[in-house]
Amino acid sequence: MKSYVFISGAAGGLGKAFAAECASRGWNLFLTDVSAGDLSILTSGLVRLYNVEIIYYPCNLTDPASRDELWKIIQQRNLRFHFLINVAGVDFEGPFIERTSAELGTIIRLNIESTVDMTSRALHFRDKTRMLRIINVSSLAGYYPMPVKAIYAASKRFLLDFSLALHHELAESGVTVTVLCPAGMPTTPSAISGIFAQGFMGRITTKNVGYVAAKTIDRALSGRMVYIPGVINRILRFLGGTVPPSLVAYFIGKRWLKIRHKYNGEILKGV
Amino acid sequence: MTVLPKTVVITGATSGIGLATARSLAAQGVNIIGAGRSQSRCVEAEALIRAETPAARVNYFVADLASQRQVRALGSAIRELIQREFGGKLDVLINNAAAVSDWYVATEDGYEMQFAVNHLAGFLLTYELLPLLEMSACARVITVSSGSHYHTRMHWQDLMYRKHYFCLSAYKQSKLANLLFTREFNRRLADVSNIRAYAVDPGLVNTEIGAKGTGGLIQWFWNIRSRSGISPAEAAKTIVYLTAIPDIPQKEAVYWKECRPVEPSQYSKRADAAARLWEISEQLCGIVYTP
Repeated sequence: MKSYVFISGAAGGLGKAFAAECASRGWNLFLTDVSAGDLSILTSGLVRLYNVEIIYYPCNLTDPASRDELWKIIQQRNLRFHFLINVAGVDFEGPFIERTSAELGTIIRLNIESTVDMTSRALHFRDKTRMLRIINVSSLAGYYPMPVKAIYAASKRFLLDFSLALHHELAESGVTVTVLCPAGMPTTPSAISGIFAQGFMGRITTKNVGYVAAKTIDRALSGRMVYIPGVINRILRFLGGTVPPSLVAYFIGKRWLKIRHKYNGEILKGV
Repeated sequence: MTVLPKTVVITGATSGIGLATARSLAAQGVNIIGAGRSQSRCVEAEALIRAETPAARVNYFVADLASQRQVRALGSAIRELIQREFGGKLDVLINNAAAVSDWYVATEDGYEMQFAVNHLAGFLLTYELLPLLEMSACARVITVSSGSHYHTRMHWQDLMYRKHYFCLSAYKQSKLANLLFTREFNRRLADVSNIRAYAVDPGLVNTEIGAKGTGGLIQWFWNIRSRSGISPAEAAKTIVYLTAIPDIPQKEAVYWKECRPVEPSQYSKRADAAARLWEISEQLCGIVYTP
């Protein structure tokens, strides 16, 4: 029986990098994202490049009915998975007071609810002849309370704790859970300008998505629990762990607000 | 006596060398079909050329060449325009558009941006416009390469530099790919068609290319370095020179700089590398060139 690598958020920057990495290893893929058009274009590109089998189905992961439909298709086609990579996630950056209730709900539904749901369902559709590797995408932000990214960081904290717990819970049943905690990912023009806005710190903490995807797959295959890409990020994480969370939140808040002011100022000046 | 072509397509024609080439050719009565990524810059470029040369026939199309879908759509829009207004003949295609990116960015097709824009887009657009080029008595495909193509080789094991991306390595490889494409195009098509391909080294030009997708050190370095460069208009002279019809001396020469043939890198002359890149490019674009 053929088994597949399940990737959610596959048409985004990190999703595409995971898809390319898995395809380059000769694995067959099952991709999902919101837009069928994006998935179709990506699928033909990757099939031409790597000559693997790729199935895609669009799904709005924030909508339980859409998720039901996705898993119904998987059941009908009798698909089995040996890898689940939960990439789909979202942030609406900016002060909490400026966020609408719909935006806050979307962060929670996509980052938390859908990841939990996908993980739970995938366990019932695993290829029982192989190990099941689960990768959840948390963030370095998951380690700290982060002013200006409060809900996002808290949702990533949820994914971090959820993954660590599940890793131990499922250890005996041939399932490994690896949680990826990257710093900023240069995936979109706005993410890239965000990294530039952070200046030197932004540059040294940022790693290329292709590299991150490849290393994360290696870590998952060796059963590692957490992967933080980049030595500097691992040092930051270590230092952050030695300071009380409230103090970290204080410093991060000061820094983000400063960057935001500088960045917004530049936009206003038209630089 | 040399005669200029009637109709020319130029990609990346809203700034830098592409715009300078379009302005220069338009002033000499050549029909210009330009392509650019930004709607507003296309409008500005078209207005600029019309202001300089009121009689010019200029058409700009918006297309993001990182997307194969948009390259195909651009090809079909140009075909339709040329059939309708320019007698179904294209004399010169200038593959000038190029991108630089500090980070590994995957296009919608899942390919690395610089490889997609700097090499694959030109490969695919040339294929799309081949029927029109074949109608011209003496057609040219001119690809803007660069001196960056020296001292590098094709990174076959990971053409997209996905795992170990470095901006400059990916850029250098894409410029080498321009030369390999040009050489293989001539090997396959120059004898059986009326089309000949050339690659151009514009030299160090004062454009924004090195500062577009970059920041920090690379941007700083480019800003300092490009100040000592020649103007885009100066760089466009070699391209304009190569478009001239009926013929140029030493027409067999592939690589041109300052209106003279120059010696490209040894690697760029490797027939096996050129053939291999051609096959991979056909595969990645889902096409087969048949003369």
